[in-house]
Amino acid sequence: MTTPHPETEKDSIPFYPDHVKTEFFVVVGIVVLAIIVGILGLLSPVGLQAPADPLNTPLHVKPEWYFLFLYQILKIIPPNILGIEGTALGVVSVIVALIIVMLWPFFDKKEDTKKAMWIRVAVTILGLILVIALTIWGEVS
Amino acid sequence: MTDSSRKKSIVGLIVMFVAGILLIATAIHVQAMSTAAQAGKFNWPLAEEALTAQPASGPAATIPPPKQEPCLSCHITGENKNLWTPLVRWLVFGTFGLIFAFGVYRSASVWTQRKPWKPLTVRAATWVDERYQISEPLSKILKKPVPKYALHWWYCLGGITAFLFVVQGLTGIMLAFYYKPTAAEAYASIQFIENEVRFGAAIRMIHHWAANAMIVMCIAHMLRVFIMGAFKPPRELNWISGVLLLILTLAFGFTGYLLPWDQRAFWATTVGTQIAGAIPAIGNLALVFLRVGWNVSEATLGRFYGLHIIVIPLATVAFMLVHFMMVRRLGVKKPL
Repeated sequence: MTTPHPETEKDSIPFYPDHVKTEFFVVVGIVVLAIIVGILGLLSPVGLQAPADPLNTPLHVKPEWYFLFLYQILKIIPPNILGIEGTALGVVSVIVALIIVMLWPFFDKKEDTKKAMWIRVAVTILGLILVIALTIWGEVS
Repeated sequence: MTDSSRKKSIVGLIVMFVAGILLIATAIHVQAMSTAAQAGKFNWPLAEEALTAQPASGPAATIPPPKQEPCLSCHITGENKNLWTPLVRWLVFGTFGLIFAFGVYRSASVWTQRKPWKPLTVRAATWVDERYQISEPLSKILKKPVPKYALHWWYCLGGITAFLFVVQGLTGIMLAFYYKPTAAEAYASIQFIENEVRFGAAIRMIHHWAANAMIVMCIAHMLRVFIMGAFKPPRELNWISGVLLLILTLAFGFTGYLLPWDQRAFWATTVGTQIAGAIPAIGNLALVFLRVGWNVSEATLGRFYGLHIIVIPLATVAFMLVHFMMVRRLGVKKPL
């Protein structure tokens, strides 16, 4: 394992005050954005739908946007694949994918190269396009 | 700090201050508008009359009627004059008094001791350091150099996520002051926050959008780490804690979505917990754990509220500490 920190002066800047200053500006930017969002909220609030009614199912039931792609996968999966229940298969495959993502550093331990990085870029873009397409499909359907 | 950076910091603070003033101004404006809308038209003489007309005697003369709703703009719109005025008076005159007393003390001490004045910040720092002896480890942490390759904007994404978590914590505490996690009152308490509580609509809007932004930033940070290969040894545990933090962020969103207790919240939770119920073998257990029963009910609301404001925040803070400490120890990975 290499030493993570370069010791020379010209390759680095001090954490305090130089880098803290940069982060201070980021924080100021976010606070200003939050206040602008707050002003918009005063002018037109987030609002509420009708109160919850367990007896009255709305026509289009949807989860939050970040679970929409998952919901769409479960919707389009056929109900029966080779004798296994489709929904269960979908959920399990998502959980397995999550575990693979979580343990990815243990599968990909080799020294990094430019080529490997571009492959990762391609995989990321493909995955993003897939998820965004599924999300839009779930939103409009 | 150099001169130009100090100037920039001051400009930043001024921008923040101006934005805050704008927020307060909007709140006053919105409140004045709603008051005017309620009364048809705001009537100055009527307000004056209401203020001056006091019962002459009896218990009502000694005990003032309870104020319906304290309001910030009252000294401007004319009603309810006595609420904020004393506080403002104390703050203004108190500040002047403190500054005057400090000036007298400083002049006297410089004059009697014949020594240059040491700033209060230096005195306070010395006092604390004598007791905690913190300056040496602290300066070690603060002086750790940051490599120049780690100054691109995309290294900010994780920090933005962390700061958004702070924003969520603060606005979430403010909302929790007024929110009631029961089926009968949840919806009405959200309406109360939006319509009655000062800045309530602003706080709810910030909480709503910062939650979405936090998820986006979290995913962006994760993709950045993945693309740059920063998950490779020796940073595996950082990646794992990061994925756990993403799951916790999504759990924040999932549990928070139910709390308004409207149709969308109720049915989104019904669908979401159904998905959890589809897991083989432990599905029903997960479903019953989340719903506290077979259906989404008031018990579900209580469970989600507890998870949302106590369990998940504590877990997130713990994992964030681990995450940050490892980032500090290992530093930023050198890009290819």
